[in-house]
Amino acid sequence: MRDVVQLDAEYLGRLRRRDPDALQSVVDEHGRRLYRAARGMGHSATEAEDLVQDVFVTFIDSVERFEGRSQVGTWLFGILHHKSQERRRAVAREELNDPVDQIFESQFDGRGSWIRTPAAPDRQAGAAQVADAIRACLDGLSPAQRDVFQLREVEELSAADAGKILVLTITHIGVLLHRARTKLRMCLEGKGWGRLR
Amino acid sequence: MMTCKEVSTLISTGGFSDAPLTRRLGVRLHLLMCRHCRAFRRQLEAVARSARAAAAVHETEPSRDFESKIAASLKR
Ligand SMILES: [Zn+2]
Repeated sequence: MRDVVQLDAEYLGRLRRRDPDALQSVVDEHGRRLYRAARGMGHSATEAEDLVQDVFVTFIDSVERFEGRSQVGTWLFGILHHKSQERRRAVAREELNDPVDQIFESQFDGRGSWIRTPAAPDRQAGAAQVADAIRACLDGLSPAQRDVFQLREVEELSAADAGKILVLTITHIGVLLHRARTKLRMCLEGKGWGRLR
Repeated sequence: MMTCKEVSTLISTGGFSDAPLTRRLGVRLHLLMCRHCRAFRRQLEAVARSARAAAAVHETEPSRDFESKIAASLKR
């Protein structure tokens, strides 16, 4: 029987060499637990996947400093917490201006009236088709916009509660929600919402 | 009289329920008379409904090719 230390050294050596099977096995072993934890921390589905990918990239880059297989899980969760906080801080720093504000403005005439009636969603489109379109459109949002949209519209939290979680003012939550909704409306209209009726 | 832009911005930022009474009444009056803004509100509700339906599908599990996607990005 090989002892544990030897097994660890071999496994870590394979990870350091970026052996494809070793990489796949570390992701298979820990990926889903990390994903569920990221969702539990309030990250949206898309963002949780980004975050977990980021965790593994950081892990592989730092695997040199790493000593034993038994601690891999703990190490990965530590990275996840760190990345999650980093992401929250990036949310708080989001730019005050976004080009989408001008797109919204351009939908009104000089007297502030809608130029064109906003499109109603296509009732004929299947649920799976709509879900695919939404997911693709959510990818076009900034992490901050995605967070706010997730908490306000999917989890249906109040602006005050979303503000507490994301450490943002209610006004900032409103601006981010407005931008997220504007981008999603534009994106969904681009995918044919309201064309068939 | 509030404009479509003012009404739609207030609805879109979610600030409607926190707005002063006179603003809320202004929005209600405008919505009664303006089918464009009613369509806008319906559109926002539909976006939210679709997002909730899409989220319910993979609430606790990542997408199917999650692990292979990540492993592929590490191999690069
Ligand atoms: Zn109007």
